[in-house]
Amino acid sequence: MTASQPVRPITILIAALGGEGGGVLTNWLISAAAKLGFPVQSTSIPGVAQRTGATTYYIEMLPVSGGGSRPVFALTPGIGDIDLFVASELMEAARAVSSGFVTADRTVTIASLHRAYVMAEKTAMSDGRLDPERLIQAVGDNSRQSILFDMDRAARESGAMINAVMLGAIAGSGRLPIPLDAFENAIREDGKAVGNNLRGFQAGLELVRNGIAATPDSPNKRHHPSSSALAAMEREIAAMPALAREVVIEGARRLVAYQDVRYVRLYLDRLNAMRQADERAGAEGRLLREVARHLAVRMSFEDVIRVAQAKIDSSRMARIREEMKIAPDQPFAVVEFLKPGIEEICSVLPPVLARPILGLAQRRQWLGNVYWGMEIKSTSILGFLRFWFLAKLRRFRPSSYRFHEEQAAIESWLTLITDAAKHSPELALEITECARLIKGYGDTHKRGQTNYQMIETRVIRPAIAGTLDRARAVDAIASARTAALVDPEGEGLANCLAAIEQQTAMRVAAE
Amino acid sequence: ADALSNLSSPGVIGGVMIILGEDYGEGASVIQERSYAFAMKSSIWLLDPRPDLPSIVHLVEKGFELSEATHAPVMLELRIRACHVTGEFVAKDNRRAVHSGLDPIAGPPRFDYGKLAHPPVTFLQERRKIEERLPAAQAFIREHKLNEMIPGDLADIGIVVVGGLTNSVLRALHRLDLADIFGTSRIPIYVLNVAYPLVPDEVKEFCAGKRAVLVVEEGHPDYIEQTINVELRRADLQTKVFGKSCLPHAGEYTSEVLLNGIASFLAGAGPSGIDAAAIEARARGLTKHKPAADKAVGALPPRQPTFCTGCPERPVFSAIKLAQREVGPTHISADIGCHAFATFAPFSLGNSILGYGMSLASAAAVGPNMAKRPISVMGDGGFWHNGVITGVASNLFNKGDGVLIIMQNGYTSATGLQYMPSSKASRSGAPPGMDVEATLRSLGVTWLRKIRSYSVATMAATLKDALRTAERGLKVIIADGECQLARQRRVRADEARMLERGERVVRMRYGVDDEICTGDHSCIRLSGCPSLTVKPNPDPLRTDPVASVVESCVGCGLCGEVAHAAVLCPSFYRAEIIRNANAWDRAMHRIRQAFIGWLSTARAVP
Repeated sequence: MTASQPVRPITILIAALGGEGGGVLTNWLISAAAKLGFPVQSTSIPGVAQRTGATTYYIEMLPVSGGGSRPVFALTPGIGDIDLFVASELMEAARAVSSGFVTADRTVTIASLHRAYVMAEKTAMSDGRLDPERLIQAVGDNSRQSILFDMDRAARESGAMINAVMLGAIAGSGRLPIPLDAFENAIREDGKAVGNNLRGFQAGLELVRNGIAATPDSPNKRHHPSSSALAAMEREIAAMPALAREVVIEGARRLVAYQDVRYVRLYLDRLNAMRQADERAGAEGRLLREVARHLAVRMSFEDVIRVAQAKIDSSRMARIREEMKIAPDQPFAVVEFLKPGIEEICSVLPPVLARPILGLAQRRQWLGNVYWGMEIKSTSILGFLRFWFLAKLRRFRPSSYRFHEEQAAIESWLTLITDAAKHSPELALEITECARLIKGYGDTHKRGQTNYQMIETRVIRPAIAGTLDRARAVDAIASARTAALVDPEGEGLANCLAAIEQQTAMRVAAE
Repeated sequence: ADALSNLSSPGVIGGVMIILGEDYGEGASVIQERSYAFAMKSSIWLLDPRPDLPSIVHLVEKGFELSEATHAPVMLELRIRACHVTGEFVAKDNRRAVHSGLDPIAGPPRFDYGKLAHPPVTFLQERRKIEERLPAAQAFIREHKLNEMIPGDLADIGIVVVGGLTNSVLRALHRLDLADIFGTSRIPIYVLNVAYPLVPDEVKEFCAGKRAVLVVEEGHPDYIEQTINVELRRADLQTKVFGKSCLPHAGEYTSEVLLNGIASFLAGAGPSGIDAAAIEARARGLTKHKPAADKAVGALPPRQPTFCTGCPERPVFSAIKLAQREVGPTHISADIGCHAFATFAPFSLGNSILGYGMSLASAAAVGPNMAKRPISVMGDGGFWHNGVITGVASNLFNKGDGVLIIMQNGYTSATGLQYMPSSKASRSGAPPGMDVEATLRSLGVTWLRKIRSYSVATMAATLKDALRTAERGLKVIIADGECQLARQRRVRADEARMLERGERVVRMRYGVDDEICTGDHSCIRLSGCPSLTVKPNPDPLRTDPVASVVESCVGCGLCGEVAHAAVLCPSFYRAEIIRNANAWDRAMHRIRQAFIGWLSTARAVP
């Protein structure tokens, strides 16, 4: 070992997802280093990972050009032995940290902040997404230096693949003893999509060099516009507790678009009653706010009229154009997939007609079996008209079967909340939150309703009646709600409810 | 294994080399085979070269010479990373083959019964393997220095390592300050580029005068460690042999495993000249950050591979899930191929995977003992590989029952897209001309349905029928849909050409109405498409994320099919975007837009 020779190679670990061009990125790095005469080697785990699985590439280089002894390069990355770590996705960055590859004494981490959700996060019945802040914190804390930005966005904006942005970021980090033009030449010599890749490279380079400005994604929440018809009511809302005001306004605007001013009046009347319950319970507006949120959603239940309203909404086509990148005068068609069954049709009929039909359908086993599948082109004149006429049924909605059913269910839920608030605001809040279970269409909606009813009968009502310890009931409702969202088959909820009842029985026996 | 024995028993005249992929860790998609056992039982020499390109290239050349010189086949083993290593080596000049298609051998070799794997000559061959070929191989290995000795100043200990793990051992020693990056080591190392057979003289020379050696070989059992122990016993050498006492029996020898293994060897061997305790502490220090980092990140769900966007096999599993909702769960024999991804979420379907094309054969034992008919899934590649005989012919011959789904996507080897007998093309261009359906009919399959794989509702109905029908016997469903990866490669190029020529092209893409989606994700649980993901809910009053179709969608139509077949929700829509639209398209579009614009008054949706 002579003093002039480096003690160890530079080690680079790249984490990417299948199809992101991690192999191409590796080749660019190899070719740039080899051009400078550096001994360099890369390895990878290809194969099944290319289909959206996670994969890694590993590179070692000795930044000394020309002759000398041949270094012995390792083929696998070592725990705590990585100088530069690059990840195309936040969770994969965190995965390398948790495996111990990234260390605070050595590793410069360059990672994208965007998330490509894994299956478990996507299939959850409610929100299965991981907390990104925790991942960002762990990556930052365990790196010597961390360079984090949304590479996916940079790639989209520059029209390149994410690997080019990653190369630009590597160049910009200055961690490798390779000049900029060597990276650019590697892209040029590769000869594929050179223009796009150079733009992506430049985007990554500039973001890292000029410092990453915090440009948050545009807020994605779409609020309803104010309506002149609501002027008087909005003044009334202004007198409500500050904590709840914003939600109530949003709810009122939602419901005037959904139905009419009279319906908003009903919403506010219900909330005024709840406001008193909130005050009595000392919930300081928290209960009112949560009831306002869920009540507005429940009152704007998803019937076929609402679907029709949404499908022909003029802002919708503008959104589709934007999402699909359709030019202003480019012809396009939109085909909707609908499959109404007997229940959907009965939902818009008056109860006096709907009930006998549903009864007959039940006896003949048509429910859940008889559906009419349709594909309707909403951009055609006839297709549009079908939705338009359906949407026009809005004025008859208050006399529909579904409306009656929903209002009865809402009243029953509100009564439970009011009763619970007499005992404990926490209990009332938990019952309010159970509205989350009821959502969707068809089977999903039915499953949600059934789950809610099970929790109501076996936990909520016993708690209000006092047969279940109320302090414990708060936790019990929360865990039953979580369990109901674990699996669509309902096994989780069944087990959870059984456990709650068993505990209660044991306590009773012990007393 | 039969073929290996029958190849090696008569022996070879020219050089024969079998290239093996073997892996003990992260990249393995099959079970660890332990080729070492096959090498021993068939008397095939096993090369395990140091994983840098000059060494691999050298061993390939020397391996052929070894085979030729000893009349035994050789195997060259490469671990997965060595298969995909980039680096450099100095190439030699090409040499024209003595015989080839251009310069064919005039006639067959003279009849020689002694060259057949057939009794009684096999008994003589058996003796030759042990008495002639083995010593010849050992002499060749020694003479040509195929194994390497790396000297070191800590002469009272040593490491014996198979070639494939040498770089990892040297890196571990480097991190413990016992080697430099150019491969100079303080501990003497004996590198077994030939893992089988061992050369007893070399082993004795290396171990003589050492108080202890460490044997580094992955897997179980510890073949090399055992052999070295025996050789030392025979030579009456008292060198202590460490191996699986310091290193694990199972799993890959990663850098962390080797750091700890070497440190514990040093502590056990107690060589003179170094502070073993300090080295052990150093090894621990290099990895001690890991538990805290792991805890800081928290539990991470796995990111498993899945079917490509638009894959024709995904819809079949959506249909199986839907059929099982009504029929109830059935035993499913899975197989090797992309369709094995259905064993992962969101499908989690499959009770066994026996081998390539083996699903139906493995279901033969299951069917008679199950209340419901089992389903076997097989690819067309697996069908031709062996499913046609071990599965279909055997089932018909034994009057079996059950349902077989054949995924006819036209290619084999997953994303390798290799041609097979029923491909629509071949390397030479012309289709090979064999057909799965015609083959099944000729074998005598009577209950046979061919269904477009994307037709989820039809597929589910056919499956239910196959599972419920009173008719006994094998029921085959061919799920027909070309591999989307191959299709996209073709279609994208075609479309690019058409666009360039100014021709009309309609692009299909699916979307989810985020106003209508309520965030239950049933659609994802029935599809798992990479293009179907979630995004934050735009509704200010809701929090559950909504489904979303991202730009990578290829418009395969599964979203719409599933929404219909499972009666999901009215959120899905298909956009048909016309590029290079003609005058008629434009005129109609303008008329429709004008009409719709006139009818709609700007109104918000709840």
